[in-house]
Amino acid sequence: MDAESIRALLSQAFPDAAELAVEDRTGTGDHFQVTVVSPDFDGIPLIDQHRRVNDVLAASLADGSIHELRIKTKGTT
Amino acid sequence: MKTLNEQISEVIQQEPVAVFMKGTPQMVMCGNSHRALQALHAAGAPITAVDILPDPRIRQELSEISGWPTIPQVFVKGELIGGADITEELLASGELQQKLDESLGSDRDQEVKVVQLELA
Repeated sequence: MDAESIRALLSQAFPDAAELAVEDRTGTGDHFQVTVVSPDFDGIPLIDQHRRVNDVLAASLADGSIHELRIKTKGTT
Repeated sequence: MKTLNEQISEVIQQEPVAVFMKGTPQMVMCGNSHRALQALHAAGAPITAVDILPDPRIRQELSEISGWPTIPQVFVKGELIGGADITEELLASGELQQKLDESLGSDRDQEVKVVQLELA
C-alpha cells in the first residue's frame, strides 16, 4: 500500500475535505499517519470520526497491508 | 470453559478501564500500546490490560465485538474510547480525566493489573 492509494481512497470518501494528508511514517508502505479535516466531521464525536476513516481503509487494515494507522481528524467549524 | 468472546466481553464490561494491547504494561511490545498506557497513567486511570499477542483469535474476536480494527483499544466502563491517538487527544483536551472522574470518581485507585484469557 502506498500513501497515494490511501490518499485517493480518502479523498473519494471525503470529497469536501479542507485538509487531507497521508504520510508514510517509516517509508515501508505499512505505517501511516493520516490527517483529515472535513465538514463531514462537524459535530461528530472523535471516536466516530476515526471510525469513518477506519471504515474507508477497512480492507487494508484487515489484510494487514496497513500495519499501523495513526489518525488525526477534525471538523471545520 | 467460557468462550474467548465471552471472556473478552466480560473484561470490557466488568473492568473500570480495560486496555487490549500488544504485550503487557510490564513488557510493552508496541509503540502505540505504550502511548495509550502513558496517556492513561497521566490521567490517573486504573488499568486492566489484556495482551492480544498470545493468539490471533483474541484480536479477531475483540474487533468483532468493538467494530474497531486496530490495537490498542481502550474501554472505560464498557465503552470504547478509542485507540492511542484518541486517548492521547482526550488527555490533552482534559476530556479523559473528566470522563474518568465521572465514571470512576476522582478518588479512584490506580491499580495496574493484567488479565490472562484462557485459550482452548
